[in-house]
Amino acid sequence: MTKRDPYQEKLENLTEADIDKILAEFRRRFKAADVAAVHTCIRCGLCADACHYYLTNGELEDVPAYKLNLVLGVFKRHFTTMGKIAGRWTGAKKLDKALVREWVDVLFGRCSGCGRCTANCTSGIAIHALIRAARGALAAAGLVPPELQSTVLTAVEQGNNMGIPRDEWLETLAWIEEELQAETGDPRARIPVDAKGARFLYTVNPREPKFFPLSLLAAAKMFYAAKESWTFSSDRYDVTNYGLYSGDDAHAGILSERLVKATEDLGAEILVLGECGHGFASTRWEAPQWLNRRFPFPVKSVLEVAAEYLREERIRLDPSKNTKPLTLHDPCNLVRLGGIVEEQRYLLKNAVVDFREMTPNRQTNYCCGGGGGQLSMTRYAKRRLAAGRIKADQIRETAAKVVVAPCHNCIDQLTELSKEYKLGTEVKTVIEIVAEAIVLPKNSP
Amino acid sequence: MAPFGSLHILVLAAAGFCLTALAVLVVRSFSFGRRDYLSAPRGYAGNGIIYAFGRGMLDKESVARHRPTMLGGALYHLAIFAGLGYVLWLAIPVRLSPPLWAFRPVLLVGAVVGLSLFIKRAAKPHLRRLSCPDDFFANLFVDLFLVLALLHAYVPALEPALMAVSILLFVYIPLGKIRHCFFFFYTRLVFGLHFGRRGALPGTSRREA
Repeated sequence: MTKRDPYQEKLENLTEADIDKILAEFRRRFKAADVAAVHTCIRCGLCADACHYYLTNGELEDVPAYKLNLVLGVFKRHFTTMGKIAGRWTGAKKLDKALVREWVDVLFGRCSGCGRCTANCTSGIAIHALIRAARGALAAAGLVPPELQSTVLTAVEQGNNMGIPRDEWLETLAWIEEELQAETGDPRARIPVDAKGARFLYTVNPREPKFFPLSLLAAAKMFYAAKESWTFSSDRYDVTNYGLYSGDDAHAGILSERLVKATEDLGAEILVLGECGHGFASTRWEAPQWLNRRFPFPVKSVLEVAAEYLREERIRLDPSKNTKPLTLHDPCNLVRLGGIVEEQRYLLKNAVVDFREMTPNRQTNYCCGGGGGQLSMTRYAKRRLAAGRIKADQIRETAAKVVVAPCHNCIDQLTELSKEYKLGTEVKTVIEIVAEAIVLPKNSP
Repeated sequence: MAPFGSLHILVLAAAGFCLTALAVLVVRSFSFGRRDYLSAPRGYAGNGIIYAFGRGMLDKESVARHRPTMLGGALYHLAIFAGLGYVLWLAIPVRLSPPLWAFRPVLLVGAVVGLSLFIKRAAKPHLRRLSCPDDFFANLFVDLFLVLALLHAYVPALEPALMAVSILLFVYIPLGKIRHCFFFFYTRLVFGLHFGRRGALPGTSRREA
């Protein structure tokens, strides 16, 4: 007997009220630039080769213009005069139950929101953003795939997306502090928690305390070496924001507000975001829109902070500590959509002996396939791993033994790709590599 | 050159309708509201816009992988704008004849490329399935216009036919796919502004390490 899937049942039993909710939210999300996109896409199809899903799968449904026109077609049909008068002629599409199901399958199941299609669109249409708007419309009717939605809800209800209890977080930090003291030989080395008036509040992906605590140690070691004034929050430290992926601005706003409030409560001058691509894009770029206000403090990536340390000689690096050939993956939300492009290269070129760029790289790098909530949506796991072949081929061509990614989602996907495609690579964060190369000040006890 | 007559007036009226209708579409688009940028910029929006209309038009993989299509598309659009200019030149009451030596090769290339793009759209399965009837019609309609403009450059007696097609074309532009010729510029501008202020486009970051 097949297992009952309430989500599939909901999709099978959609009501007119569900469709009305989707359309209302869809209409609300569209701004002038999005309406212009409706009039701009010429369906030239030149975006097809930009998409890792299309390159590996080759189905029409994977062509970004197809995905985009599922979205734009609905807008045309319901909100433009020509779409209402001459729907079929203009490619307009009535949103019915079948189309909602196709939206779910294509917009959630065949897109990692990497924006490579946007960068390659001849007209510059923000394809990834329009797909997110449609995801948000589906969210309004409760149609986000449940695995993704539960990640969002866990973060909203429990303070972090892994549901880590506060005590466990604090115990992990206490343990990491001991490790830091052992590593630095300095019994006064601290991992500050809720320190008022620190220069910055540091936030991390909850996967770090849960599965990769040594990456917390790496950051702490770097801050120690730079004699930085910093702090963690005891309860608001989660840099991730899966509301970006579900498309739900309300939940995304709740999660962002938490970090903003923590920064203000602690009186920190800067909010520093750990190595998390979508966390960076969410908090640095999208959160002010979600919260409808400008932040009174700067928001920075830890890569920017680390690059400043190196530039200002607050840390010294010895590249001979990292001798294995190493390559760098550019997380889409951090690089192509986020603008943090050279900092990681500057750090790595000073921290390793053998740095090898992938081809293509920087803004044109391929998505690993782990973004867009794909890692949590297990129902699409086969597609995700298949789409990752492009990234696996890129890595293999460098012959690197270590792949570095300043993003924990990417790290999970790259680790799976290493197994799936037998790459034999280790996967690390940039700060882990920097920490390995750090030469601790001689005056440390 | 034919005397200024009723067809000329209708061409100018149709062009006026076209611009007015496009302006209405713009106003309606803006009635949806503009997206405010509340995050602090990390790059230069102006440089982003310059990039979007300059290097960014060519410096991308979709161009590198499809050079013939991109070149054809550029020539096609150049020819369309030239053709519209040619017709308006004929329609406005001036005594100067258009420089036929310049228009003829541009219109010829445009017509050939336009038909090639039509064949490509019809022949490639994914592209065909991606397309709506308007994609084919708009392409053929513009090709007809270019062919007529080209023939007129050799046979002035075809002017009534060219004027009649031009009137229909001007009326159709804001109603169908061809309106992209207008909205393209806005979309591209927003692209440059959006990613330029993020410092995510080459040459836009305020701080390169």
